[in-house]
Parts: sequence; structure tokens; C-alpha cells
Amino acid sequence: MRTGTKFGLAAFALAAGTAALWFYFARQVSLPEDRTGFVVAFLAAATLGVTAYFKGTSWVGAVPPAAAIVISSFLTFTIAMSAQSVDAEQAIAVGDVIPGFAALDDEGEVFDSKALHGHLVLIKFFRAHW
Amino acid sequence: MRVVTVSTDAPEDIAAERHLHGLQARMLSDVQLTVTDAFGLRNTGFHAAPPGDAPVALPVPATLLVDRDGKVLWMDLSENYQRRSDPSVVLAAMRAHFDT
Repeated sequence: MRTGTKFGLAAFALAAGTAALWFYFARQVSLPEDRTGFVVAFLAAATLGVTAYFKGTSWVGAVPPAAAIVISSFLTFTIAMSAQSVDAEQAIAVGDVIPGFAALDDEGEVFDSKALHGHLVLIKFFRAHW
Repeated sequence: MRVVTVSTDAPEDIAAERHLHGLQARMLSDVQLTVTDAFGLRNTGFHAAPPGDAPVALPVPATLLVDRDGKVLWMDLSENYQRRSDPSVVLAAMRAHFDT
């Protein structure tokens, strides 16, 4: 086996393993606040992948490092672009009374927030089913 | 206790997808972000909208606990969309705020 192929396989194993761990935590809704470890692992995988090409590999051997580079770059990119922010002056805060609102539910019925009066309520805003 | 969810999905999309999680909640459609804006929770950060044409923006993932008079007792805003309110954190907050 050519040296580059070995580097490529190592790159793929690291990228795929880290990605598997990533999606495991994502499914548990428990990705850590500090994802530096993931970034380091992905960058290491991508570096190994690039190294594989410099060391030289076969056509078939070129596939694992390519996959490692794509997986690692994509997930690092999603980490970089995941920050969210709201307009602090407009955002509701603890102690505020919620605004009245009306919206359609999934059956097309109008829901009025007046129906919530007198009840303990959990309201969840989420980024849609996509 | 009432559970209400708000997302930018159209009602038919919510109806089509809700079997995935089987959530027993009133799931509201907020395509125009009217409710999101009333709460001031429109995401102004990067990656503010999904790929494609609609919707134009998205809320920041948030969980609010509200008392019987409509007052917010607790809330959790995700400053990062890969970090959601951990179910255990929400349950602990419910125990702390709803049992009193």
C-alpha cells in the first residue's frame, strides 16, 4: 500500500469517527458549548487528507482523503456559521408579559394566545422542519 | 399545562412532519414571523434563513416558561443553532418554576 493511501485512510477514519460522534451528540441535543475539540479533529483529518495527496496515492486511494476533506470542511463550516443573535432591545426577557398573538396551527385553525390565560405554558420557538 | 411551538413552517408542512416526533403540542405556523417578531426573537445573526425562497428569516431557537398571568418565568435562548435547550435543563427549570 502506498504511503499516501495510508494517510488517506487515517484521514477518513478520523473524519468519519469525529462526524459520527458529532451526529450522535446532535441527536441527543447535547453538542457541547465548546466545540474546539471537534474543530481540531476535523482540521487534523483535513490536513492528513491533503498530506495523502502529497505522499502520492492511487486513483482508488484518492477517494478516502477526498471524503475526509469534504466531511471535515463542511462540518467545520457549519460550526463557524452557527452563531445566532437577536435584537437585545426587542427580545422578550424574564419578567416580561408575553405579547398577545394569533397564528394558524397545523390543522389550519386559528389559535389565539388568549387561550393560554390561566395556564402554565411552555413556548418553544424552533427553526422549522428542514 | 399548555405546550405551544412556533416555527416558520406552513401548517401543511407541520402536519406532514409532526409524526416524526409525535409532539403533543399546539404547533403554530409563523410563516411571516409575526409571532417571532412580537417576541423579538428573529435571528439577526449569520445563517438567518434556510436555503431556498421562503421563509425570509428564522427565529432564534428559544424555550420560554410562562406563568398563569402571562409573565415569563424562565427562558433559554440558543446563541448558537447547534445548541438547543437541553431537555434536562428545561425539565429542571420547569421543576424550579412551575411547582411553586
